[in-house]
Amino acid sequence: MSAFAFRRIAAAVFVVSVFTVLEVSAGPAEIAQIKPRQDKLRDMGGALKAINDDIKRGRIDWDNTVIPNAQTIKDRSVYLLNWFPKGSGPETGKKTYALPVIWQKNDDFQKLGKAMQTEAAKLNEVALKKDEAALKAQVLATGKACKACHDTYRSPDYEKENEE
Amino acid sequence: MEAALADTADLRVWDLPVRAMHWLLVIGIGVCWWSGINNELEYHTYAGYAVLWIVLMRLYWGLVGSSTARFVNFVRGPKAILDYATTLHRRDTPHSHGHNALGAISIVLMLGLVLAVVTLGLFAVDVDGLYSGPLSLYVSFKQGRHLAHLHYDWFNILLWVIGLHLAAVIFYFIYKRQNLIGPMISGKRQGAAGETEMTHVPLWRFVIGAVIATAIVYAVSVGFYF
Repeated sequence: MSAFAFRRIAAAVFVVSVFTVLEVSAGPAEIAQIKPRQDKLRDMGGALKAINDDIKRGRIDWDNTVIPNAQTIKDRSVYLLNWFPKGSGPETGKKTYALPVIWQKNDDFQKLGKAMQTEAAKLNEVALKKDEAALKAQVLATGKACKACHDTYRSPDYEKENEE
Repeated sequence: MEAALADTADLRVWDLPVRAMHWLLVIGIGVCWWSGINNELEYHTYAGYAVLWIVLMRLYWGLVGSSTARFVNFVRGPKAILDYATTLHRRDTPHSHGHNALGAISIVLMLGLVLAVVTLGLFAVDVDGLYSGPLSLYVSFKQGRHLAHLHYDWFNILLWVIGLHLAAVIFYFIYKRQNLIGPMISGKRQGAAGETEMTHVPLWRFVIGAVIATAIVYAVSVGFYF
């Protein structure tokens, strides 16, 4: 074996091992998604609740409640689908409500995620128009977009302990 | 022969409100259970209101209702409960008129648990922030989520107590040869002719309670915002 051939093989081995290390070390990056994704989704749920609370009270505060919370939902929804990289499910060994079916039926999951983005954008428009009837309808539509995904791709509450 | 027949009689033991509330509660809890497990939270909320109404009515009837419905007539002290429990293994014990001392514990426990589970549900928040309980506007999203989990945990405890109640009914049926289900449907049981009957109360009392309970459930359902 010439020195040149040896260097080529050595280089190839090095490249392969770097990729292998990268592949293996991809684990922590996916695990790192879980906590922030839970926090951000909780922000979205909390934001929808805040708008819903005003509707329930029959006292809608557009400037302090509806507009900022609709903005939060819209802003977060844009990144929604980035929070679920392959490998960030229960296989991480971490406590997550995310079900493996997210990556098995990923096309459908992506479709529901995009539907959520559409509804969130509409909610934001309605909030800026300050139209109460339209807001009620759109809050319902947005909540149903959340639910549509949760019904299939999230463990029911009763199967897990409370999230922290 | 005639003398033997004369000795037994149909005794009234449960009035119509007690029976109706019992079976409506069975249906109500069943609907709550099904809709909760299947995340049909809109129906779950309405079924929860119905259960709240029934429990409020039962508590009210326990104060002003017919004799066998009243708490003062069937909730007993530790001595009476212990005395009754020591005769539980005997097969020839007489039929209790109304709740027996031991059964009273499970009645109070079940009513208390149903009320606790419903109350937790009133404050519970669903994961979408969409179909939350009517009083959830008094708690944060995170607190409400925590209460939703407690709502589920306490319901599980309730299921165990209901299981115990059913086991007791089966025990009485098989071991003591006493049918407790029939009287809860017909309101009557076989007894000796001389035994004291239950005393009914006029129906307007039930109507007054129904109006009050409806007002309370309505106020709760709108989160006390009118």
